[in-house]
Amino acid sequence: MKTTAAEAYDVVVVGAGHAGCEAAAAACAMGLSACLVTIHLETIAQMSCNPAIGGVAKGHLVREIDALGGIMGRLADETGIQFRLLNRSRGGAVQAPRAQCDKAIYRLTMKKWLEDIPNLTVFQGIVTDLLVENGKAKGIVTLDGHTIRGKAVLLTPGTFLNGLIHIGLKSYPAGRANEPAAPELSENLKRLGLKTFRLKTGTPMRLDKHSIDWSEFEPQPGDDAPVPFSFRTKKRLENKVVCYAGYTNERTHEVIRKNLDKSPLYSGRITGVGTRYCPSIEDKVVKFPHHSRHQFFLEPEGLETSEIYVNGLSSSLPYETQKSILRTIPGLDQAKILRPAYGIEYDAVSPIQLRPTLETRLIDNLYLAGQINGTSGYEEAAAQGLMAGINAALKTGKKAPFVLRRDEAYIGVLVDDLISKGVEEPYRLFTSRAEYRLRLRIDNADVRLTGYGHDFGLIGDDDFHAFHEKKERVRNVIYYLEKKKIAQVDKEKISLKDYLKKPEIHFENMLEYGKIPEVLTDEEVRHVEAEIKYEGYLKKQEKEVAKILKIDGLKIPEKLDFKKIHGLTREAVEKMDKQKPRTIRDMKKIPGLTPSDVFCVYVYLNARNKKKAPGDNVPRGTIENG
Amino acid sequence: MIDQTIEDTIIAVSTPPGYGGIGIVRLSGRDSLKIAKSLFRPKKRISRVPPGRAVLGNLVNLESNEVFDEAYLLYFPAPHSYTREDVVEISCHGSPVVMEEAVRLGIKAGARHARAGEFTLRAYLKGRIDIIQAEAVDDLIRAGTVETARRVFGQLDGKLSKKIGEFRAGVIDILAQIEAAIEFPDDRLFVTPERIINSLEKMIVLMDDLMASYDVGKALIEGVTLAIAGKTNVGKSTLFNAILEDERAIVTPYPGTTRDYLKEKIKIKDVYFNLVDMAGLGKAGSSVEREGIKRGKRIASLAEGLLILLDASRPAGSEDLALLEEFRSKNVLILFNKIDLGRKMDITKIKERFGQLPSLEISALRGTNLGRLKKKIYEIFSPKIENRENVIFHMRQKLLLEDVLKHLKKGRDLLIKGHTEEICAEEIRKTLLFLSQLTGEIRADDVIESIFGRFCVGK
Repeated sequence: MKTTAAEAYDVVVVGAGHAGCEAAAAACAMGLSACLVTIHLETIAQMSCNPAIGGVAKGHLVREIDALGGIMGRLADETGIQFRLLNRSRGGAVQAPRAQCDKAIYRLTMKKWLEDIPNLTVFQGIVTDLLVENGKAKGIVTLDGHTIRGKAVLLTPGTFLNGLIHIGLKSYPAGRANEPAAPELSENLKRLGLKTFRLKTGTPMRLDKHSIDWSEFEPQPGDDAPVPFSFRTKKRLENKVVCYAGYTNERTHEVIRKNLDKSPLYSGRITGVGTRYCPSIEDKVVKFPHHSRHQFFLEPEGLETSEIYVNGLSSSLPYETQKSILRTIPGLDQAKILRPAYGIEYDAVSPIQLRPTLETRLIDNLYLAGQINGTSGYEEAAAQGLMAGINAALKTGKKAPFVLRRDEAYIGVLVDDLISKGVEEPYRLFTSRAEYRLRLRIDNADVRLTGYGHDFGLIGDDDFHAFHEKKERVRNVIYYLEKKKIAQVDKEKISLKDYLKKPEIHFENMLEYGKIPEVLTDEEVRHVEAEIKYEGYLKKQEKEVAKILKIDGLKIPEKLDFKKIHGLTREAVEKMDKQKPRTIRDMKKIPGLTPSDVFCVYVYLNARNKKKAPGDNVPRGTIENG
Repeated sequence: MIDQTIEDTIIAVSTPPGYGGIGIVRLSGRDSLKIAKSLFRPKKRISRVPPGRAVLGNLVNLESNEVFDEAYLLYFPAPHSYTREDVVEISCHGSPVVMEEAVRLGIKAGARHARAGEFTLRAYLKGRIDIIQAEAVDDLIRAGTVETARRVFGQLDGKLSKKIGEFRAGVIDILAQIEAAIEFPDDRLFVTPERIINSLEKMIVLMDDLMASYDVGKALIEGVTLAIAGKTNVGKSTLFNAILEDERAIVTPYPGTTRDYLKEKIKIKDVYFNLVDMAGLGKAGSSVEREGIKRGKRIASLAEGLLILLDASRPAGSEDLALLEEFRSKNVLILFNKIDLGRKMDITKIKERFGQLPSLEISALRGTNLGRLKKKIYEIFSPKIENRENVIFHMRQKLLLEDVLKHLKKGRDLLIKGHTEEICAEEIRKTLLFLSQLTGEIRADDVIESIFGRFCVGK
């Protein structure tokens, strides 16, 4: 690590959270120099809220980040203290890893890994302004007047952008408890013409583990055979802690109802929109009055700390009320609050102003990633950071942009949702947001993405080689299962592969019919099972995807007069004239155009192409990328 | 189907072909009014044509300066028209000659003759109507009866769309349960496969019910098919002709005549019936007869109702009884014919044996009880629509609902067999796609082509 902040870098990254760290590391791995500016060097990669990485959809994202060569998966494996594979009782497409991590170790390890990157400078400072020349981002200015120039600027400010903490009816500007907010940057982004809006999130209280009566709670141990996030993690993972589950009760809810007038949310002091997916306890009580209890989890924040995170009791009620709430819950009635829960409002930039590369449409070379784009979650942030970092590096190197499709990766779903639909409440990824869920699995994230990671230089040759070996082993086993026929009672012989498709049959049952030609890891077994059990659906979806790609690739002639297309609204024509989409795919990415606009253009192009070739019923649009 | 010519101003006769009291010629497109003015001359001098108000005038051939009809002109400027373009409707006398002349002059003045369904296509593309409504417009044109028109108007109001919307909401609700269980495995949501199977089961029952209404819808639009069945020489053709004779005024020839059977459309009160006269279904002598009987039985089994004709002037034969036995579970009216020749048949015994089947004594030859027969036909065979709020009219709608049902059932069966929820979810998600195709929200161009391809010109 360089000790001084040089004046010019290829890339300047603002904010060293989960997005910023991935962005800076990716850009550097792709051969660029980067400066990562953060308000506080001690809180690099801070897990501001829950002490866990992964979960359903989020764990999928981490796998994809890892397959592309990002950091989060390896770091979570390295610092995890309890590991679980969720949805084990369901199919492979919805299984996902989650790990409780040691927050302090996570932070320190990330800091160390970043410091070890030779062309990366980590710098402490509050960014107040953006240097913009001729519509292009050129660098940033810090609070003490320091200027750092960069060919690309990546903003990943999290909740620091005009952050405002609420506890009860008290509020004060902050980016996180005890860290200053960055109000000037937000004002300057608005001045530059970016549209912002207000979001709200919150975090629960942390309790002293010695003050909790643990016998009142139900233990939630980790898995016997922990599943790592990273395809590259070789070491055996160990569970070092146990989490616990408990419930609120009617008395708790009574306390909350009585104190709603002290809630900044219900008294109207908070104007930002909160998330429905991770509601505060007061939200749950108000919105589900018929529920007699709500579940919460007690999760250790680390091995060397007494702090316990109370997952499910997020709140912005006053400290005194938080104490009263705890008094109603057996086991927590003596609990000491070490850090009170709080709500926080912050500015986000409406993501429909972004290109698919996460570069703003308004200002060239300015990239946004993470909560600034309206998302919530470490994993969503990291995924965007990685994509922004890769794309900033590609653009700086004058290479073609990297955009993942919705059928290719959850990252593609995430980015596409953000830029095409925009955000009204903090956005969280769900597996149900994907049209092709059975394709987007943790067991095939490497098959889907590692080739890209290797092309960018983010995946080393050794890892790429190991990936190919795995593919080979899996192919051999699937071939064997196809060829090996077994007898069935009163029925015709079937292949082992077809036998494995039965819901009650698993890979271990295959061993009863002879030696499997390869020794597979648990990971590879899950891959083989998913590929075979979903085979029918996967084949159908592959065809659907091919059809969509064909339509998306239809070329829109350059000299086409959009006014001639029947059914297109005037606004649509204006937008088309301005953006000049070259294909249906480009057109779909223009914000504000509706599916029916796309449809009208498609119908028009099809009719036009048909007319050109009379008697030929096959659409003759020029096809791009097959 | 759709190309640059969609910008043209189009013209067509928009009332059904043939002579009628009033005929309407419709124009749509930006030059509608200009073109209309070239063949229409108002009686009173007006500075401009008022929107939405009838203007009385003459249809004139400007070249010869000949007035060829008196007419009203109605002008609906965009977007307040059916197609959301400038529309002009000229109501004249319903003579084909007059209307064709108006269209000819319109084309001469720059309009293009509309293609099949083009007015409705424009309305659809401009977002004026959804697909179900577009189909309803087609039915409105075809509907001959009050009851049909009322149904169709109901659909234009979006009633079926609403029902489908409800199903959609129901399916979304089930899917939401499954997805919640998948996305939040730590929350104890108590969404068990059994519970999902249960919800699916309920939805399937509701959907089956809507599907059943297809038959009612089909009957309203296409008529109820009634086959006259009986062995040879019981008077089938005589009855066929007698009913037709009586209804001559409103009978329209039906283009379904084949060597094997005759088919005619009659109307009783507000319902159409397709009356089918076919070969006798008795014992077969030659192989040709056997073939005829085979075909006749197929028609009989496909028909929505059967008039089984017996010759009451002779004792019941084994063929009569076999016929009654074979079709007793169908919607049947037994007719004891030839009562003018005396009752040799033991009518009471047959009535006892087939007690659940209604019957009537007639003489087709003399016309005895023909009035009562028509009344009975109406009572027994007209579609029971009192409790049907929604009627599926179209094959396309039915096929889509069948797809919905198929995937709902498959989803249910997968869970029953022990497959996991995310696989079941794949099936349920598919149903949403089909349901939205019903209301036109997901537009695939093959769907549209099939709809608009079957439209008559100029609605």
